[in-house]
Amino acid sequence: MDRREVLQWIGGAVGIHALAGVSPKRLMAIGRAVHEKQQALLVLNAHQNHTVTTLAEHIIPETDTPGASATRVNEFIDLLLAEWCDDVERERFLRGLADVDTRSLNTFGDVFVHTTPDRQIALMSGLDAEVTALRDVNGEADDHFFARMKWFTLYGYYTSEIGQTQELQSSIIPGRYDPCGPLHRDTPGEW
Amino acid sequence: MQQRSFDAIVVGSGMTGGWAAKELTEHGLDTLVLEAGPPIDPDVDFVEHEPVWSFRYRGLGDRRQLAETQPVQRTCYACDEAASKFFVNDVENPYTHDDDKPFAWIRGRHVGGRSIMWARQSYRWSDLDFEANARDGFGVDWPIRYGDLAPWYDYVERFAGISGRPEGLSQLPDGQFLPAMPLNCVEESLREGIARGFGRDRVLTIGRTAVLTENHNGRAACHYCGPCHRGCVTRSYFSAVNATLPAAAETGRMTLRPNSVVAEILYDQTRDRARGVRVIDRETREEMVFTGRIVFMCASALESARILLNSKNTRFPTGLGNTSGELGRNLMDHTMGGGARATMRGFEDRDSFGRRPNGIYIPRFRNVTESHPDFLRGYGFQGGAGRPGWSRGTTMPGFGADFKHALRTPGPWQVTFYGFGECLPRNDNYVELDPAKVDAWGIPALKIHCSWSGNERAMLQDMSVTAAEMLEAGGAQDIETFVQDNPPGLTIHEMGTARMGRDPQTSVLNANNQMHDVQNIFVTDGAAMASSACQNPSLTYMALTARACDYAVERMRRGEL
Repeated sequence: MDRREVLQWIGGAVGIHALAGVSPKRLMAIGRAVHEKQQALLVLNAHQNHTVTTLAEHIIPETDTPGASATRVNEFIDLLLAEWCDDVERERFLRGLADVDTRSLNTFGDVFVHTTPDRQIALMSGLDAEVTALRDVNGEADDHFFARMKWFTLYGYYTSEIGQTQELQSSIIPGRYDPCGPLHRDTPGEW
Repeated sequence: MQQRSFDAIVVGSGMTGGWAAKELTEHGLDTLVLEAGPPIDPDVDFVEHEPVWSFRYRGLGDRRQLAETQPVQRTCYACDEAASKFFVNDVENPYTHDDDKPFAWIRGRHVGGRSIMWARQSYRWSDLDFEANARDGFGVDWPIRYGDLAPWYDYVERFAGISGRPEGLSQLPDGQFLPAMPLNCVEESLREGIARGFGRDRVLTIGRTAVLTENHNGRAACHYCGPCHRGCVTRSYFSAVNATLPAAAETGRMTLRPNSVVAEILYDQTRDRARGVRVIDRETREEMVFTGRIVFMCASALESARILLNSKNTRFPTGLGNTSGELGRNLMDHTMGGGARATMRGFEDRDSFGRRPNGIYIPRFRNVTESHPDFLRGYGFQGGAGRPGWSRGTTMPGFGADFKHALRTPGPWQVTFYGFGECLPRNDNYVELDPAKVDAWGIPALKIHCSWSGNERAMLQDMSVTAAEMLEAGGAQDIETFVQDNPPGLTIHEMGTARMGRDPQTSVLNANNQMHDVQNIFVTDGAAMASSACQNPSLTYMALTARACDYAVERMRRGEL
């Protein structure tokens, strides 16, 4: 369905209220540019990419909906590192990534991706506690690697097609405004 | 040099240019509409339904490109990854300001101008506003009163489609409203709490907005998709592209010429009239002249002032129509950003659905019936209540399956009241042509001198106090006040640079937006404003434009123009 058809359909004789009965999936097809192609990595090397992918999947794991790695959040993070971050932010992130391995080697005798999932989660819990402590003291922890990693992962996941359609069940065209309805996952005002 | 003649020339195709185009063509005038920027094709350019994942940076924007080419424009919330194309390139369109007086000039140069990205809030002024200058002596008295404009408010509201709730308040007259959008349950509860605490003195109502709540004049009702500033393929909100320009085109009498940068108005000294405009083609840099019997300046407060200042000649050595010396002076913008935010308990099992493109409004209550000791005039609040979704996870402890599932339930209800205050007209807030800077087309750039006065600063402080009082009366908890320091310009309500007035010695325009000095020039954008009130100004610009067109056409019929 192209944009012009949609325009005629929602502006035309059918009327706006007819939208309420149409499946969100069909509405999401509007103007879609689906990125199915695997993209070459721009900044992360294979090991860094493996580490980022593993961290991200622990942050947003697969449950009854897909997790972060199914949305290829690693590629989005790689893109932001390459084209969106400045040099200082990129270097800080890559240093933080190396530090994850240093901590893993010191504690478990192996790099992060080669240690067990339980140990990976334990290490990440330590990092998360550091972020929480920093926030308690400073009000923010934006420069901490794990704060940035979590932000990248959440943003990348929830703005992906899977995040939007399966996890958030978001409708691009709600078709109505209900001022006081039951709870739902599609929060107004957020992508 | 190419030269063509028209009955009327309209400079600008946005909020007011669209209205001038519609009114003049519907009155039978062969009208040329000149737009400095490119054309807009809604089918291609309006991208409000593109899913976020289809954008390269998923809505975060091309940060490096923005820093390079839109360092000023990016400070506007609406200049996002999808809509940054509706904002000017700051390198091609430079301006300067004093180092210690920052000014954010947010501009759209394309057919429709800023009417595409505007926030759509639409409020009438009252005599509290039109009499303000006369009452306290700042600025010059408005040459009109509410009664002069009321029928024109009716007229433009009926066409544009303004949804809102009648409240019967003298300081914010009701209009020709389409059904109001509803308040959500928390906002409704705050309305009741504020009414208990403050009676009819302070009223929380739904925003009055140029968004259709039912089908209207061939345009479809809103479908609550949310990001209006990216355009609207169903034409559900008012913009020049959605409403006035199509009406003008329908008459067959409009010639719309995009890519037409107006460099100056040409003045015929023997007839003491403007004879036309000199235009530079944006793409080819070719120069051309268009002539017309009347000229409507609708290029925005600052652009219209700039063109007039640049139209110097021996009769008007400091700018066309500047006998008073007031051209470019009395620049105002609303002061914004005093207020408070809080949490509301209760309604945990409820949430709103759909992205309502509108918030709440608390009309002015200061200096309405009593005098405030710290400042003149007043302010209103906008804002609303909502529940945060997944994004709060970025600063929430934890990760993993439980964390992911916890984010499926929205966070607690949050409320914000954000103030917008009146700015006094002051002679020392002014613009001039910068002798050392030109834009990409060789036209002198503006040098802007503008800063807030103590009156605006005092108002910001008071906003934070009264916002907190009302949140408390409404039953909110964890109330936090704020007082931001926003530069003038960022509210994007700049106005006043060719003010209306009764006396040609102290004002540029008369009661009909007609230049005192040159009778066939009308200025109907924000430049015409003699004071700023605290309401969002676009609806008043629309009404003034329609009224001025009616007057101009009548004068032409009588052979006086």
